[in-house]
Amino acid sequence: MSARAEVAVSVGAHGDSLWSKALRKFRRDRVGMWSLAVVLAYAVVALGVVLGLWAGDWADVSGPKWAPVSGEYWFGTNIIGQDIFARSLYSTRTAFEVGLVVALGATALGAVLGSTAGFFSGSWIDEVIIWLMGVLDSVPFILLVAAISYTLQGSPWAMHIAMIATFWIGTARLIRGEVIKLKSLEYVEAAHAIGVSRFMIIFRHILPNTFHILLVQATLSFVAAIKSEVILSFLGLGVKDGMSWGLMISESTFEVLAGFFNNFIAASVLMFGLVMAFNMFSDALQDALDPRTVK
Amino acid sequence: MNQTPEVPARSDTGTLLQVRGLKKYFPVHGGWLRGVQQQVRAVDGVSFELDSGRTLGLVGESGCGKSTLGRAILNLQSPTAGDVLLDGLPLAGLSRQALVARRKDMQIIFQDPFASLSPRRTVAQIVREPLDVHRIGNTRERRQRVEELLEVVGLRSNALNRYPHEFSGGQRQRIGIARALALNPRFIVADEPVSALDVSVQSQVLNLVTMLQAELGIAFLFISHDLAVIRHISDEVAVMYLGRFVEHATADKIFSSPKHPYTRALLSSIPVPDPTSKSPRPVLEGDVPSPMSPPAGCPFHPRCPVATDRCKTEVPKLREAQPGTEHEVACHLAT
Repeated sequence: MSARAEVAVSVGAHGDSLWSKALRKFRRDRVGMWSLAVVLAYAVVALGVVLGLWAGDWADVSGPKWAPVSGEYWFGTNIIGQDIFARSLYSTRTAFEVGLVVALGATALGAVLGSTAGFFSGSWIDEVIIWLMGVLDSVPFILLVAAISYTLQGSPWAMHIAMIATFWIGTARLIRGEVIKLKSLEYVEAAHAIGVSRFMIIFRHILPNTFHILLVQATLSFVAAIKSEVILSFLGLGVKDGMSWGLMISESTFEVLAGFFNNFIAASVLMFGLVMAFNMFSDALQDALDPRTVK
Repeated sequence: MNQTPEVPARSDTGTLLQVRGLKKYFPVHGGWLRGVQQQVRAVDGVSFELDSGRTLGLVGESGCGKSTLGRAILNLQSPTAGDVLLDGLPLAGLSRQALVARRKDMQIIFQDPFASLSPRRTVAQIVREPLDVHRIGNTRERRQRVEELLEVVGLRSNALNRYPHEFSGGQRQRIGIARALALNPRFIVADEPVSALDVSVQSQVLNLVTMLQAELGIAFLFISHDLAVIRHISDEVAVMYLGRFVEHATADKIFSSPKHPYTRALLSSIPVPDPTSKSPRPVLEGDVPSPMSPPAGCPFHPRCPVATDRCKTEVPKLREAQPGTEHEVACHLAT
């Protein structure tokens, strides 16, 4: 066979990237698609609140105390007569805000610091980042939030900052390991041989090959942030100006003693639904992005 | 094919690459405060010269330092000691930018066609990257050049927007070769480029390399542990053992009259396609000693069938067995 002979290329669809393959795989995952639909429904609710379409009256004292479920008050009212349905919807917005801010912030920070540590593994840069991770990891989470909250004089962002400051660590550790693996691969060596700068090697050749990990980590951080928000708000360390499922549960502690469960059930069920759906979505995403699983 | 104005006029004859006493040691950390405990002597003093358009075949067992030598020459792993001169100009001590500029002249082809291409970049992006890095031509010229390169290595231009995972091993190796050729290099390290391929595909890729060499006058350092491949492709052959050259001569001389006992043992391991053949074959016994603590004297003496007392104490130098023959061997007993 002549060396110049053209080699026919006949596999797969034209320009079928790893992403489009993953998308096809995800589309065939029923549980994944359903959980995505649920998450999107929550997202629409949250977006409506942001746009002022509904739940603008969440703080209004409009009804009687502890009204039961009715056509007017779908979820009843709380101890001072506020509409629990409106408060639940508004809390969805809070959950998404916390989830998105923390997921984006923690993932970005984890990606940058993790890949830097991995690329310079063994050097002092790596040692410093590992030391930082160890220190932040060793402070109990709730204590750290309290400390940051106190330092920022009760800023509404204290909770977000505290979560980002701790959640990036898990992502960074994963990315560091992956980068150490990737940087010894031959295509990275090829980039060195071509003369690509180290900066470009990290951002063009190494980080894009960790995106699947980052995506899954972001969804996991999102869920973790929502759960932590509920706990922190319950403890009075979380949401300061607004309403959240955690605050609703906190409110309900007195009501539950009096036999009124509307606040508690509304907040718990809504949170459970979102966390569950998001977890299942995250699992399906992981399967779709993993080239080893064949479906 | 040459469209860069700043490329100096090329002489297709004469010495292109000079390697002098090249060493690459890897420190092994361990123990108290992670101090350097020992050193792995992967490449331990290698010297040779390579002319333009010639192929030096490098053979040796796994772990003898073949790949490390290739990478140390290209400064992908900075050498511990020694000099590498390309066109008479040293590569050591260059600033990062100056080294990047010199990388145009020297490239590498890898063993594993599945690890050597980034899975998330299209063929066009992969082959174009060297042109982007060295700012050669405008967008249109770069695209033309990429199409030209794919044609040279025997791929259709409908490969451009595809991803590496859509290709077979041999096709991927061609993509890697196209990338290495993009900058018109004068010297290419081919690190076991066909070891991971099927035998039928091996010959296609080898023919491609031979053809490129004939047309473009590129000098190759061709690393392989497959003696048949080396014999097919090399002008000169160097045999490496524990980080050193033990024999270095033209391919004809190595294969017709090997002088070092190690080379003889290697050659005898080539299967003879004759089941009735009963010729005595020296068989190597034992394993390669650890490069962390190589044996005193000749590094080969513990496995050598003809070793003498002198071999246990005195390190043999690489020398011409008979003056003027250009057949270099590192053995006290070779004549």
